[in-house]
Amino acid sequence: MKEVKRKEYYIFSPFLRIFHWIMVAMILILFVTGLLIAKPLQVMTPEPTYTLTSMDLVRDIHFVAAFIFCASFILRIYGFIINKGDRLFPRVWEGHFYEETVDVALHYMLLKPHHASFLRNPLARMSYAALYAMVLVEILTGFAMYYMNDPNSTGGVLFGWVNVIAGGEMMTHLVHHYVAWFIILFAIGHIYMVIRAEFMEGESEVSSMFSGSKILAHTPKDACELE
Amino acid sequence: MEKRESLWDRCLDKGISRRSFIKSCVALTSLMGLSTDCLSKVVEAAEAKPLPVVIWIHGHECTGCDESFIRSASPLASDLVLSQIDLEYDHLLSAACGAPFEAHLEETIQKYKGQYILAVEGAVSTKDNGIFCMSGGHTFTHLLRHAAENAMAVIAYGTCAVSGGIQAAAPNPTGSSGIKMFVGNKPLINVPGCPPIPEVMTGVVMHVALFGAAPPLDGEGRPKQFYGNRIHDTCYRRPFFDAGLFAENYDDAGAKAGWCLYKLGCRGPETYNSCGNIRWYQGMSYPIQSGAACIGCSNPHFWDEGSFSDRLPKYDKIGDADKIGVGLAVMTTAGVAAHAVASVVQKGQRDVQEAQKGGAAE
Repeated sequence: MKEVKRKEYYIFSPFLRIFHWIMVAMILILFVTGLLIAKPLQVMTPEPTYTLTSMDLVRDIHFVAAFIFCASFILRIYGFIINKGDRLFPRVWEGHFYEETVDVALHYMLLKPHHASFLRNPLARMSYAALYAMVLVEILTGFAMYYMNDPNSTGGVLFGWVNVIAGGEMMTHLVHHYVAWFIILFAIGHIYMVIRAEFMEGESEVSSMFSGSKILAHTPKDACELE
Repeated sequence: MEKRESLWDRCLDKGISRRSFIKSCVALTSLMGLSTDCLSKVVEAAEAKPLPVVIWIHGHECTGCDESFIRSASPLASDLVLSQIDLEYDHLLSAACGAPFEAHLEETIQKYKGQYILAVEGAVSTKDNGIFCMSGGHTFTHLLRHAAENAMAVIAYGTCAVSGGIQAAAPNPTGSSGIKMFVGNKPLINVPGCPPIPEVMTGVVMHVALFGAAPPLDGEGRPKQFYGNRIHDTCYRRPFFDAGLFAENYDDAGAKAGWCLYKLGCRGPETYNSCGNIRWYQGMSYPIQSGAACIGCSNPHFWDEGSFSDRLPKYDKIGDADKIGVGLAVMTTAGVAAHAVASVVQKGQRDVQEAQKGGAAE
């Protein structure tokens, strides 16, 4: 039994936390259904009419999940506007950002025993910006394929140009598929890093995504940004 | 300039009745993908507009588009060529040849400056000043530029003329490309396909002829009435796709039952064309109906987007993106696990060192 003095830092608004967990669920659903759309399962029953693998259903789940994902992203952006703690992008325009990123990177390369503590780890923030970029590519290519069943519709006009830029609709499909894999690779790294930060560095990375607060024994370097 | 005949004049010459004339106008209207409300406009145009002068030139290609064109049934290609347009020059269909024929081309260009329709088949070979494609002592680039700058409108027939075609496949030794950059600011109508559907070819040229303007075009310059839908969205096998019934091989029970060819690499979901609704040769069939997966022949770069029998491209022995993805995911997980072990070991060593230091200090 030991007594530790801890301070609570509230940073993540409900908008961000709800978005985060919806994103987790939707990315899993989108990824699995997406793989099934690219390579449909075929379960043969004695009578094909009663086949168990309805492509229509798989596609509908994919589309509904995509719309929920986009809707929650819009709320995330709303939260970013009204809440000081939520941030979309790393503060790359501040000079100290780069030194801090190098510092953290050296620690993760096991070259430095410690790195300064941050409420918002600069290296992690960079990876989130990369994730948002990948998500944006998925949204653009996804809607480009989805709406082009009627090129004259509003959606077709809004997103049709993506197919032209990609160099043909086949390319749009491939980009959509390949980027999905990179998002999964990101997720593996992300899960590892937050668990590592929680257990080895005493950062409440995991719990803060539920409670919104980080309860820390030490004072993070960027604590002043919350004032 | 002498008076040029209209379609109606030509009907009168031939003793074709008014009734037959109106009938062919009705056929033309539906052929051009117009609603029947437009019939009166079509009749007016057919009565008054002189027959369009067409110059039809061929670049780097296989002339398969002509093979398709001469199989047009409504209207018959022969009707179109002999009585519905004034085909003044055609590399392939003309009986004349040699210097007089080339002189006739120049005469036609000068005589109908700004009035004729230029139909182009085949890619432009641009490398080494275009010497890979010559006719009449000139490079095709020269002929195309010259004919296009005096044309009323330019029609690019076939994927070659639209985006380079098979000869533009990597590594593209002749520098073949579509005709777009050679036609300047003239209205350009892209009619891709390898080859395009015959009725689409005749429909587009008749539209330009009767209305003197390009039909409504989509973002890639293709007539909306013919390229407004994906084959997948008009395919009669679509219900099998939705139900999840796929042919896995070209010789399995699914293929025999006529199920969806999606898993065999069908490009229907990416391809805009009228195969699903107009079909080929009087609606007889189209590739998917014949049991072959669509290869997306009206798409730019379809020749480099193989293999045609796979949905995802395969990278030699490594496999497709899904295999590579699983491999990368496993490697990432292993890397992360190794990093975790290394971190824990390092932390343990550090803690021991610090404890020793602390012990020494005491």
